[in-house]
Amino acid sequence: MGMRTLQRRETIKGWSISSVYLAYTAIFWGYPFVWLFILALSRWNFLTPRRFVWFDNFIRMVTDDVFWQVVFNTFNFMLYFIPMVLGIALLFAIALTKIKFFKTFFILAFLVANVSSGVAYSIIFSNLFAINGPLNRLTYNLFGKTIPWFSEPQLALFAIAMMVTWKFIGYYGLILYSGLQVIPRSLYESAELDGATKWVKFRKITLPLLNPSLVMVLILSIVLTFGIFTEPFIITGGGPMRRTLTFQMLIYTTAFQRLDPGYASTLAMATALLTFGCVFLTRKLIEREVSFV
Amino acid sequence: MTKGRFVKKIPIGILYVVLFVASIIWIYPYLWMAMGSVKPAPEIFTRFWPSRFTTEHYSFLLQAADRMNRPFIRALMNSIFVSVTVTVCVVVSSAIIGYALSRITFKGREKLFNFVIFQMLFPGFLFIVPLYVLIRSLRLPDTYAAMILPSIMSAWGVFMFAQSYKSVPIDYIEAAKIDGAGTFWTIFKIMIPLSSSTASIVGLFTFIGIWDNFMWPLIVMRDYNKMPLSVLLASFNMQYGQYVGPILAGSVLQTLPMVLIFLVFRKYFLQGISMSLK
Repeated sequence: MGMRTLQRRETIKGWSISSVYLAYTAIFWGYPFVWLFILALSRWNFLTPRRFVWFDNFIRMVTDDVFWQVVFNTFNFMLYFIPMVLGIALLFAIALTKIKFFKTFFILAFLVANVSSGVAYSIIFSNLFAINGPLNRLTYNLFGKTIPWFSEPQLALFAIAMMVTWKFIGYYGLILYSGLQVIPRSLYESAELDGATKWVKFRKITLPLLNPSLVMVLILSIVLTFGIFTEPFIITGGGPMRRTLTFQMLIYTTAFQRLDPGYASTLAMATALLTFGCVFLTRKLIEREVSFV
Repeated sequence: MTKGRFVKKIPIGILYVVLFVASIIWIYPYLWMAMGSVKPAPEIFTRFWPSRFTTEHYSFLLQAADRMNRPFIRALMNSIFVSVTVTVCVVVSSAIIGYALSRITFKGREKLFNFVIFQMLFPGFLFIVPLYVLIRSLRLPDTYAAMILPSIMSAWGVFMFAQSYKSVPIDYIEAAKIDGAGTFWTIFKIMIPLSSSTASIVGLFTFIGIWDNFMWPLIVMRDYNKMPLSVLLASFNMQYGQYVGPILAGSVLQTLPMVLIFLVFRKYFLQGISMSLK
């Protein structure tokens, strides 16, 4: 068999397999992709004929108080969530580097939270934090007080941030842990010879060399924040006073309860752009070149 | 960090105690759920260790099908059916397409591969509304197809397999060709067994993702008989919130498969996490 025929046969084989994927992608990815833009420029209620309105939806969005409330909620949430998740995950990762025994047990104990079902854990936490729940029983016995976790706006946001932190500490902790493990020991040893203190070693060696893992965790938690839906949907329904309303809830209710898929698509595009923007900014501000020499 | 010094400063024993206490706090929500599902209803909020164990909440779930039109066992079967179908489809299709994109040489392959990576940049929520428009115009809402079809191929899965195949030595493939093996024989008898950890990672994350998917089935499924467990449980919780025991029992049903699969495949789960770093 000649080289040419062999090559042609490979080309046919390659394209016939790929064309299955391309056909599927055209239907379930390409078609929705195009419709996303069509919808964003339209006014429609799924039933009556669709009307092309150009940028009306975008104009409506920037003047919509609920949209800005959600933007505010999201950053408010990040303010609680990111320091909490990053801090505890880092402590967990550092603790893992210092112990010899039960390492697998600790890793599994923290990681198993990550495979909890969104619906089930929302239900569980809404009970744990309920006014007659175990947590309030504890605080009542200790301090004679109960905390209205899900009925006070700031507390509700904070409580959801705690739940999500519970879920993701194990995952993020492991990412940081594998980042810590690749830092060469010799760096610390030579720093010690120069008489560096623990704090100096942490700031001058650990933090800079951990930068890739830290950036990774930051990006994951930003993307996660913009995607939150199940927790507020099940526990607070977006309240109290719309303070736990998230982008995903706003998109869902706009499209499927208020039957406004056009505006919902506009909101989805804005959410994606905001996510990309935040990720880009994080990389710009925090990401550093790392070399181990 | 370096051993000698640090051990002297913080007694390592305290670290172990802290980690043990933290581990128990982290597992506590699971314990509370599991215990609550076997406690008599009045004791769920009042005591941790019950006066007696009961299966009444689970039998309540069995009856909920008729009494409250919430067929929990059927929903569990629906979840299993949909998740297994999607997982098998994703693993098989990704294994085949990943082969074409990594080990078959043809014009345009690089562009296709870059397109797959490009696809992965877009978050799933962008497509939810237009995808519903598509499913609706295909007249598929309230069918299993609505939950299965949009997920049977995955750009991420294709990418994972293609990357993993790149490390299989060319000799294996050449030898198979000389023996007259066809493409599919090569994929299923040589490539997949050699990339079994990739297959496990793709399968594991796909299964958990579909099992726990909430928003999409919430949108396309209104029929209680075809709902996955996640949506049925949420709807039961909203309408019958006072039945805490049965709700906890339902949560155990929803959680248990994920936790079991996690414990069995934990090795691949850890590998999957470290892979996401590259």
